[in-house]
Amino acid sequence: MTADHLTATFAALADPTRRAILTRLARGEANVTELARPFDMSQPAISKHLKVLERAGLISRGREAQSRPCRLSASRLKEATEWMERYRKFWEQSFDRLDDFLVDLKKEKSRAGTK
Amino acid sequence: MPEPSDSRMEGAAIARPPELRITRVFDAPRQLVFEAWTKAEYLSRWFTPAPLTTHGCQLDFRPGGVFRLTMRTPDGVEFPMDARFTEIIPDERIVFAATVHGDLKILTTVTFAGTHDKTTLTVHQVYSHESDATRGANAGWTLTLNQLAAYLRG
Repeated sequence: MTADHLTATFAALADPTRRAILTRLARGEANVTELARPFDMSQPAISKHLKVLERAGLISRGREAQSRPCRLSASRLKEATEWMERYRKFWEQSFDRLDDFLVDLKKEKSRAGTK
Repeated sequence: MPEPSDSRMEGAAIARPPELRITRVFDAPRQLVFEAWTKAEYLSRWFTPAPLTTHGCQLDFRPGGVFRLTMRTPDGVEFPMDARFTEIIPDERIVFAATVHGDLKILTTVTFAGTHDKTTLTVHQVYSHESDATRGANAGWTLTLNQLAAYLRG
């Protein structure tokens, strides 16, 4: 996964409307009209969100005439989740070191205090 | 062909913003755990996971102050980090933001909770920004983190 992919995926997921659209598409494909229905938004506004999702590779759209049904592409989302999980490992390892460091810091403090 | 059931499974995880939350309980009072974040000398001793080492840690521990360091692998590959503190509440909360190339922002909130000799430390990271990245802007910081993560995994 390239950095641009990741950034586009994170940008797409940062918006609550787009997350709601993805959640809806997880239940099955839908067209713009169907996707716009639960939102207080115009179809052009929804279409704009769909473009962002499509560019991020999170959805794909059919070529069939007007309706162009949208469907979820799970792989890009999975990659982003895996990337974040790897970053979790960074913090877990930092925390291990912090644990050791706090023992040292405690000792240093008590030594300074009893001087 | 993707299975519809796969899509549904992924869907369960979708309705969340891109964020990471990690919690750990430490056997130390809150003031001490907080103090570990307040000095460049202290952070240099624990922040970077081994076998990487910390270099050039600059810390101006106040809102608006810089938080910079470079992590270096044993064979000399460097991963710089450049952030700024946006909020500091002693013994309770530290927030810092890293922005790279003016688009991707990583906001890190560190919270300290607990009493007596136990402290619950939570690191919450949100990856956000609007527009620029969707136009395919440079994402150096993401790349840095990506490389770092790959290195740590390897």
